[in-house]
Amino acid sequence: MSAAGKSSPSALVVAAIAVAVALAAVFPFFVRQQMVVAGTLVLFSCYLAQCWNLAAGYAGQFSLGHTVFLAVGAYTSTVLFRDYAVSPWIGIWVGAGLAALLGAVLSAVAFWYRVRGVFFAVITLGSVEVFRGLFSGFDILGGTAGIFLISANDPMNMNFLSRIPYYEIILALVVLAAAGTFWLERSRLGQYAMALREDEEAAEASGVPTFRCKIVVIAISAAATALAGTFYAQFLLFIVPETLFSFDHMLNMMLGTIVGGSGTILGPIVGSLLFGVLGDVLRSLPVVNSREAASLVRIGYGLFLIIIVLRMPRGIVGLWGRRS
Amino acid sequence: MQWSSDIAQVAASGLLMGLAYALVAVGFTIVFGVMNVVNFAHGHIAMAAMFASFALNRFLGLDPYIAALFLFPIFLVVGALLYRTSIAPAVGASPATQMLVTLGLLIVIENTANLIFGGDLRSVRSPIGEGSLHLGALVLPMSRVLAAAGSLLAIAALWAFLRFTRFGKEIRAAASNELGARLVGIPIQCVFMQAFALGTAMAAFAGAMLVPFYLINPFIGYDFMLKAFVIAIIGGLGSLPGAVLAGLIIGVVEAFGDFYLTASYATALVFGLLMLVLLFRPAGLMGSFRS
Amino acid sequence: MSDLLQIERIGKRFRGLKALDDVSFSVEEGGVFGIIGANGAGKTTLFNIISGAIKPDVGIVRFAGVDVTGQVPSRLCIAGIGRTFQIARPFPDLTVLETIRVAVLCRVHAMRAATERAVAIAHRFGLAQKLDRRGRHLNVLERKRLELARAYATGPRLLLLDEVAAGLRPSEVDVFVDIVRAVASENITVLMIEHVLAAVFALARRVVVLDQGKTIADGTPQAVAADPKVVEAYLGAGYVAP
Repeated sequence: MSAAGKSSPSALVVAAIAVAVALAAVFPFFVRQQMVVAGTLVLFSCYLAQCWNLAAGYAGQFSLGHTVFLAVGAYTSTVLFRDYAVSPWIGIWVGAGLAALLGAVLSAVAFWYRVRGVFFAVITLGSVEVFRGLFSGFDILGGTAGIFLISANDPMNMNFLSRIPYYEIILALVVLAAAGTFWLERSRLGQYAMALREDEEAAEASGVPTFRCKIVVIAISAAATALAGTFYAQFLLFIVPETLFSFDHMLNMMLGTIVGGSGTILGPIVGSLLFGVLGDVLRSLPVVNSREAASLVRIGYGLFLIIIVLRMPRGIVGLWGRRS
Repeated sequence: MQWSSDIAQVAASGLLMGLAYALVAVGFTIVFGVMNVVNFAHGHIAMAAMFASFALNRFLGLDPYIAALFLFPIFLVVGALLYRTSIAPAVGASPATQMLVTLGLLIVIENTANLIFGGDLRSVRSPIGEGSLHLGALVLPMSRVLAAAGSLLAIAALWAFLRFTRFGKEIRAAASNELGARLVGIPIQCVFMQAFALGTAMAAFAGAMLVPFYLINPFIGYDFMLKAFVIAIIGGLGSLPGAVLAGLIIGVVEAFGDFYLTASYATALVFGLLMLVLLFRPAGLMGSFRS
Repeated sequence: MSDLLQIERIGKRFRGLKALDDVSFSVEEGGVFGIIGANGAGKTTLFNIISGAIKPDVGIVRFAGVDVTGQVPSRLCIAGIGRTFQIARPFPDLTVLETIRVAVLCRVHAMRAATERAVAIAHRFGLAQKLDRRGRHLNVLERKRLELARAYATGPRLLLLDEVAAGLRPSEVDVFVDIVRAVASENITVLMIEHVLAAVFALARRVVVLDQGKTIADGTPQAVAADPKVVEAYLGAGYVAP
């Protein structure tokens, strides 16, 4: 390892990644639609984990409320489309902006009053309940029944008949998120975030404006998550508070990131791929029925999480590439 | 007048429910007060006890109130086991570690319940819990009265235990000054295990007492946990009387929210309250903040 | 020489215990200034107040003429107050290089330039061989060096050193004294809390003595060592000043 700290990846690594991405991109053209959908959902959880990793893995801010940003993204673009004929390609950015604002304001208020660590996590959990209640209560948002969109051949409005374009979109998001994480790691903001993750007081004493940093990273993470929300809405063509605010998304985000290795670029991807693929394989085994298989798989996740956290806190990615 | 008796009825119902919530919160606050661990799986323990009661009723025909009496010691053991296997290494570790370990427990408990019982809502009837108590103009369902009474008794017993027994004194010593407790020879790991076991058993007993009128499915754990958290914070972490008072408040707030608004708004209201308290008065009503 | 730091009637209570009581003194720009006193006398509390980690109940901290009382530590750091912690706090998972670089980044914003400067500072403080070592793997001496390097890297005008010589062997204390002298010669004013009196007397131009939250002496090291109040409260009758 060079003395420059985080060095640029070697040409070999870059080539390997390019090949992997290329393979992933052509994958859907050679498999059944069912596999394309499965792949899309796996990549979706990869992307969510990458977003959460920014706030939790790099800045150390454990949010249990990222589903709020998912919902903001989904509802914003959908309502803009349904009521104002704004294409989701544009609405997606409005959603991201709103989510960034919301994340910034909520966390600013929390940090202003020195709410940290576990208490911050619980506040985020509480905010999920509050927003779930709000979103379920407003008719314009479809109430508890949600909003349905109609499937059509309408690429200008992110509506595709084939499943493949959705797959490519989420793949692009995963790649962009990885690139974004790479850039963040090497930026001043990223270095500040990592320092405050390690020791907030020492970081402050070293000149890190921790208040501002935490908020900015959370806002970025929120905006990124909201992009996934719009994607989700357009992919399922159906949004409802019950699924959007489901703790399942949160668990997947955390599992993938922690098991794969938080605070790393590849960690969330590796972890989510592992769980996604493993889960799909186990669920499709003819041994038990799918509902029971799903529960068994999740029990395994839970145990795995406990073991990893206690024994292998650096996750899978931490198993190699350890510096002195 | 109709509305005033409505209010009284709703308030009474809320107060009764609040006591049961308070018991769950008491278990939570003991664990936090003694070893500084936020157990995200706390609510799921109550849920597990409720399913245990359901199973005992299904397969042994055991009345839920009898089952509750058995489940208390059973869950003392369960709590001790959980502590030994998963919680002990997380004590004193980073908040992230604690959160993730207890969340892992949550996942395991929830999906075990889902595996065994499925997602349908279940209920259990008890002949003891039938009927209602008439107090003036108020009509109080017996099952709720029993749940409230049982919770209050349990809290009082716990308070006495902490106050008057050696175990209890050790627990309080460890809670207020861990280093000092170690120095005088109190076996901290043992004390922590006992406190965790107690906390677990409290949640279990509360759940078991709610079984005769509360609909059960594997996903009700979150609700209990979040309410326990809200109550523990508002009442002041580590404070038993605070938990009772805050439990009553939350019970009433929820009851009114449910009655005048919708269920989802009621939940939102409760958490709005939590967030306000966390922001402006983190020590709660009666607690001393152990940051 | 104007006063770089002015402490005016600072008071702080912790739950009924008066940690600091009407403490006042000034520090001129340039040179080394010592704060000594028994444990619990309030020294680290004073540092925490100066660096912004806690707010005083009463009193004013003036830095370069400006009232900076109660400002956030990062603001004060950028204004020019750097500090070390009594128990060294390296970032466990960051390397020595990354740690120093974080501190440099508040002055030098470009990553490449900041990295170069961090490497140079690491050399200066004897950490050149340990650039890739993570904070959690450093031994005590290395942590102290890193603590110093980090504080120095923030480019302070005023450097607060909290018992940096504690636990060092005499030979190591000498090395430390040389480092502080070199730092002070770069026009950085050093304010040091120390129990190792040899170091204080070797470096400090002036010394303030705290006892139970109050200042009981303020003068040259020789004057302070001879002061009967100081002898009684802290030094002991058998103490012979170097």
